[in-house]
Amino acid sequence: MTKQELHRVVYCSRVRLSGPPAGIARELRDILATSRRNNMRADLSGALLFANNCFAQVLEGPRVAVERCFERIQNDPRHSDVTVLAFSPASAREFPKWSMGFAGEPGAAHDPLAFVVFEGAFARDRPESGSAVLGLLHGLVRREEAWALA
Amino acid sequence: MALRAALLGVAEGVILLDPDLRLILCNAAARRRLGWVGGSPRRGLALTTMLEHAGALDTAERMTIREHCAALLAEGAMPAIGRDSAAAEKELAFGDFAMRLRWLDGQGVMLSIPMGGDGGEVALRDPLTGLGNRRAFQAALAAALARPETEAALLLLDLDRFKHVNDSLGHPVGDALLRLVAQRLRASLRGGDTLVRLGGDEFAILLPRAEGAEPLAERLVDLLSRPYLVEGHLANIGVSIGIARAPADAAEGGMLLRRADLALYAAKAAGRRQFCLFRPEMDARAQARQALETDLRRAVALGQFHLHYQPLLEVASNEVIGFEALLRWEHPARGMVPPAEFIPLAEEVGLIVPIGEWVLRQACRTAASWPETVLVAVNVSPVQFADGARLLRAVDEALASAGLSGTRLEIEITESVLLRDAAETLATLHDLRGRGVRIAMDDFGTGYSSLSQLRSFPFDKIKIDRSFVSEIEGESGGKAVVRAIAALGASLGMTVTVEGVETEAQAAFVATSGGHQMQGYLISRPVPSDAVAALLAGRPASARAGLARTASSDGA
Ligand SMILES: Cc1cc2nc3c(=O)[nH]c(=O)nc-3n(C[C@H](O)[C@H](O)[C@H](O)COP(=O)(O)O)c2cc1C
Repeated sequence: MTKQELHRVVYCSRVRLSGPPAGIARELRDILATSRRNNMRADLSGALLFANNCFAQVLEGPRVAVERCFERIQNDPRHSDVTVLAFSPASAREFPKWSMGFAGEPGAAHDPLAFVVFEGAFARDRPESGSAVLGLLHGLVRREEAWALA
Repeated sequence: MALRAALLGVAEGVILLDPDLRLILCNAAARRRLGWVGGSPRRGLALTTMLEHAGALDTAERMTIREHCAALLAEGAMPAIGRDSAAAEKELAFGDFAMRLRWLDGQGVMLSIPMGGDGGEVALRDPLTGLGNRRAFQAALAAALARPETEAALLLLDLDRFKHVNDSLGHPVGDALLRLVAQRLRASLRGGDTLVRLGGDEFAILLPRAEGAEPLAERLVDLLSRPYLVEGHLANIGVSIGIARAPADAAEGGMLLRRADLALYAAKAAGRRQFCLFRPEMDARAQARQALETDLRRAVALGQFHLHYQPLLEVASNEVIGFEALLRWEHPARGMVPPAEFIPLAEEVGLIVPIGEWVLRQACRTAASWPETVLVAVNVSPVQFADGARLLRAVDEALASAGLSGTRLEIEITESVLLRDAAETLATLHDLRGRGVRIAMDDFGTGYSSLSQLRSFPFDKIKIDRSFVSEIEGESGGKAVVRAIAALGASLGMTVTVEGVETEAQAAFVATSGGHQMQGYLISRPVPSDAVAALLAGRPASARAGLARTASSDGA
């Protein structure tokens, strides 16, 4: 993969999972496990945030791989109202170590910072809010490095 | 009978007819190719009947085949000496397949359909998406409805904003996007469902059951509206869906298609990004529209159109410096038909082109009788800009036949004109400019991209939409908007006209806010051409007072 091909997409969506927390946790684990397996193979990295009934995700890698993976994610009924906050070439990866970093815990208390970013992102489709989500995810994924997923 | 066996087995589609045009044999390749439903057609079947059951053919194609067979037969019956040997064979081309007709001396007619590289399947498939095409759809529809007590649901899909994406990101991106759409659609269907691309950004789905259509449509509206990342671009489109069900809404294919189309039309009219089920009253509405269209087609010829002229008052001199020509349709039975009712229809069915040309001719002819300094403003529809060359010709002819100088004509366009094929439109606008014609941007401020549009072309004039003027006296910021647009126009060197001025207070505000011209009932309502002279000669002040009183009773 050459440097020029590196692309990054940042998007938010609404969670379409309902039921008991245990079931939701299982779905999340499933999404993460699948993501890590597929993304590793496709040379993709990124992070996924789950909070306030919203997902935010950063996906980075070769353009075609990003587009293919994004398309697969669009067909997933476990979320809806996808808003792309940013999609552009990137000079370097933000999450080089993560095939899919994760922040957030099912049923966890609302993270006020995340809430502000989501509100902003859904209110209007502004490109600035893409970097806001990116920054947020960056901070959160580091904080939660210890959070273990079975 | 070895011949028969051989013919039945060949890859080429073959149909043999006797001299009465009754079937001798029809092989499997031909059956597949023509969308024949059910088992082999029986021997002796009339060609006409057989063609009617060929679901992949449309009416025109059936007729063409029938007529050419009959012609060959007539030709074949002539004595051999007088016969033109070339006429004994005929090749018909139908867009995606060909058919060869051959007179077999005294034996009848052979129809053969040469196969494409992959056994003819290609003719039924859309090469871009790999889905079935319109022809495959016709065959599937005919097959589905041929079964007794059949149930089916037809979903017609039309992508919203696809053309915009295609125009702005280019055809290769548009094509890649269509492939992604096809993929999303395919992933949402079940085994017995038929999915085809009818052409352009139109798809159709045939379900072998009537129930389940609504949840599917709901899901597709959501799914196809989700963003696409394609060839390095982000694309947002949507979909509108019309649904009709058999046998509840229609039992026959053509009717089912028409009704789904009516439902699709309703979905689009209701704001797109949604689905609509066919309802019987849609038929009534379609008939009403049809009747309006019929009347509209006759209106030009019957002289039912008139132009009225509304003066443009120059603020600095307090003089009328021009008139906007406004179209009026007086129908003997319908009465005055409001432009909002017939213009959109005229645009949709393309009638706006001849109507617009009539307006140009008429307005120029009338203006030629006015004093040299008075100009005439004519509205030109975005549809007319689709054929820029024709528009230029119409303007040239109107000016020449009236003996009017191009500098006395002003063309008013709305910003939607610039949303279409921008490069070609700009070229047309510049060509008009080259003839001395002035270009005004109408209804300024109502579109979402007004400001960027202003930069795309050096307009001579902007007309501030009446909605802002009506808010001048309120608290809602109308004043600030008018002032800001006037300042903007002045800084770009454009004349600023304020429309919809109805009160003295509004006029006073326009005068102090930097507006150059005013138009509205306060100055005068639109008048017939024979009243123009009086307005030009008259004293504006008294005319204003007199007309202001009648304004409120007349609507806007
Ligand atoms: C919010 C969200 C994010 C996802 N992110 C990814 C991802 O990064 N990579 C991935 O392969 N699948 C991701 N998925 C899962 C895909 O939608 C899909 O289920 C999965 O790719 C199917 O993979 P499989 O065919 O290997 O089972 C995500 C799903 C959701 C709802």
